[in-house]
Amino acid sequence: MQRNQLAPGIYMTVLDAEKFNRCRITVHLRYPARRQSATDAAVLALVLERGYAGCPDMTALSRRLAGLYGAEMGVDLSSAGSDRILSSDLCGIKPQFALNGEDLAAAYTEIVLGILFDPYLVDGLFDAQAVAIEKETLRRRFAAEFNDKRLYCVQQARRRFYGDSPMGIELNGYLPDLDGVTPHSVKAEYDRILSASVIDVIVQGVDAALVADRVQAALAGCRRSPAPLSAPGAVPAVPVQHFAEKVPGLTQAKLCMFFTRGTTEHLPSIHLLRIAMGLFGGSSTSRLFRNVREKQGLCYYCGASAARATGTMLVDSGVEPGNESAAEQAILRELEDLCARPALDEELEETRRGLLSSIDAVGDSLGGLESWYYGSILRQEPFITPEEGKALTSAVTAAQVQELLQSYHCNICYAVTAEKENAPCQ
Amino acid sequence: MPMTIREKAAAAVHAQKAVLPSGLTVLCRTMPGYSTVHAMYATAFGSTTRDFLLDGRPVHLPAGTAHFLEHKMFESEQGDALELFARTGASANAYTSWDSTCYLFSATSRFDENLDILLQMVAHPWFTTGTIAKEQGIIGQEIKMYEDSPDWRLTTASFRCLYRSDPIREDIAGTVESIAQLTPELLYTCTDAFYQPGNMVLSVAGNISLERVLAACRRAGLDRPGHHPAVTLTPFREQGPVPQHSMHFTMPVTRPCFSLAYREPPLAFGDVRRAMILDVVTELVCGGLTDLYRRLYDGGLVNPEFSSDYASTRTACTVFFTGESSQPEQVADMLRAEIARLRREGVDPRLFTLVKNEMYGDLLAMLENVESAANHMQAAFLKGATVEEEIAALAALTPADVDGALQTMLLPEWEAFVRIDPSGQELTPE
Repeated sequence: MQRNQLAPGIYMTVLDAEKFNRCRITVHLRYPARRQSATDAAVLALVLERGYAGCPDMTALSRRLAGLYGAEMGVDLSSAGSDRILSSDLCGIKPQFALNGEDLAAAYTEIVLGILFDPYLVDGLFDAQAVAIEKETLRRRFAAEFNDKRLYCVQQARRRFYGDSPMGIELNGYLPDLDGVTPHSVKAEYDRILSASVIDVIVQGVDAALVADRVQAALAGCRRSPAPLSAPGAVPAVPVQHFAEKVPGLTQAKLCMFFTRGTTEHLPSIHLLRIAMGLFGGSSTSRLFRNVREKQGLCYYCGASAARATGTMLVDSGVEPGNESAAEQAILRELEDLCARPALDEELEETRRGLLSSIDAVGDSLGGLESWYYGSILRQEPFITPEEGKALTSAVTAAQVQELLQSYHCNICYAVTAEKENAPCQ
Repeated sequence: MPMTIREKAAAAVHAQKAVLPSGLTVLCRTMPGYSTVHAMYATAFGSTTRDFLLDGRPVHLPAGTAHFLEHKMFESEQGDALELFARTGASANAYTSWDSTCYLFSATSRFDENLDILLQMVAHPWFTTGTIAKEQGIIGQEIKMYEDSPDWRLTTASFRCLYRSDPIREDIAGTVESIAQLTPELLYTCTDAFYQPGNMVLSVAGNISLERVLAACRRAGLDRPGHHPAVTLTPFREQGPVPQHSMHFTMPVTRPCFSLAYREPPLAFGDVRRAMILDVVTELVCGGLTDLYRRLYDGGLVNPEFSSDYASTRTACTVFFTGESSQPEQVADMLRAEIARLRREGVDPRLFTLVKNEMYGDLLAMLENVESAANHMQAAFLKGATVEEEIAALAALTPADVDGALQTMLLPEWEAFVRIDPSGQELTPE
């Protein structure tokens, strides 16, 4: 398969979907993040999901999707280093299964492209009522972050870790900026994204020529100057900083540690990174799970993950209040041990087998395939098939894993912990 | 939906079934072209199974026993089954619900070996006082993690309001105190009673044939009849009115969270039609297609996470509407008013058809995924149904069925409202 250019900065990739009963169209707009309009972008994603010019009403759109045999449509905002990705995707039964001969391909294409390229505007701006409603949704989302303490702890640690770096620009924007969001500012951010983004359309099981025609038609009158994709960036290594936030009534403390490689030199391959994380803390056979949770009983959960482009590694865990320091030391000991000597052959092979198995499973879902290939696009690498990915994963050595883990340094250790007993039920 | 559509749907979701002489039911959905095989080995033994007769001897279990057992089943004298799965590259896990416990793996190779590990692990329990003590610490941490979850606290508080003595009142994991009572003998009693093939189902989906799954069962000795003790579940039916119509408490949250819950008569084993009605009704009251949802959302009264669902066990059935809101009472009042309106005026036939279409699409989509297919097959089986029967029941459902059901469900006398306020906030007086 190939990533074909439809126009400057607009690409289409067609993936095989023969064995599935459903099809999927995904559109990604990748653009440079900007601190001053991050909140506008967050509101924009919510407003876009409500409808488009051809079906402006949110409930009418939900009913239209239900009428298309329960097709699922979503709008999402995600991060890729210092870039952000505004995506729309639609998944529904394949056109040949339409019970009454409806033209499902045309309907799917119209909706998924309409959401991003033909928004519902009133006098050239986003609908004021929709913007006002979604500002309040976002305000509630800010407030809700605290309710999930695991996520809250990770977010707090992340804020300390990235500081003012463009990589740390909040996906949901900033509460103090919310009042300043207007239909005009949301439209300005939309125009910026549409102009600056690199657009990738990924088609699975739908007539690609039809989608290509519609994409070109939708963007025909649009002046665009796609920005180059952001270069990888890394947070410099600094002496570890500890933060502890006491939350009255919390039952289980949360501990989150952020590590950096401090450099963008010698980015590891994604295959090496996956093996290293699997071995350290990414699976139920990892060092963190086996030793810190199972043997030492210090955490209920304790896992590691990493972002390649930013050279970041994250360890988060749920611990008994009062055990935060012991857990932190135990986590660091496991890392030090893997840095000091190569992993045992047996554990490396167990980790590798698990990863090979997960790569095999990529082809079992439309979403899995789409993520696999868009991941390559984000890393600016040529496409490789899952089978080729398995070969590269098989070639990773214990010495490479050891060398990679040696490059991480802990910058931030953030704990959300208990202060006093829970309030009793009444 | 016309018959031809039902036939198409039935073909699309078809699974093979075999019942072995040991009593084990095997379900297999062969999915050519897929790499993964997902297998689930489940027993109809969950957290609400607390009292039973084993060969005529009464047994009472502490809260959290089924869940504790689930954690311990991975251990054997030879080591940890998770490590055996890791050696094959499989990903394994387990979970306990109110009425079942399920052990599972996903693998893309060495299917026979993985099936052998799964079947052996469940067939040969091994418990000691020492390993039980170690697990009590880990589960104690898990219990604490759930105590910090507003969603979970809403669910358990709703059960406590609605039921005076049904075992669903107790948390699935029990309490630190209840699991401290567990002994190897008690755990063996549970495996003797509920981990017998006749009480279990093996559900497998993916690129595998039924014959291959049956061969694994033969290797595990599951093709032979065995002597199994007689188990009689203690009959129970919650009596009397709802013990508590509302509950307020505080937690470290930033906005109030709420649950409006209704006690319903338990679903009879195999009553697929009523299960479908419960799904459809909750969607018609406040699902994303309704005007009520739109008013709640646009009015800033609920988040997109606002949802409805129902929980069903052998002895209890509860419908929930849950979410976060700065005005929980107002949301509850709007829900009550909508339920009353639907009861009075009947459901909108056009909306009813859209909800049915959506559920039909969801069912078909679910069966395209290996994990969802295996999971849905075993869950339906333990409720006394098949996926084909679910689709047929959905297809046969009419607006009149829902209108009729609404006359006797979601009634105010069987309602409980739970509200969680942010810590430090004054509690609203009743």
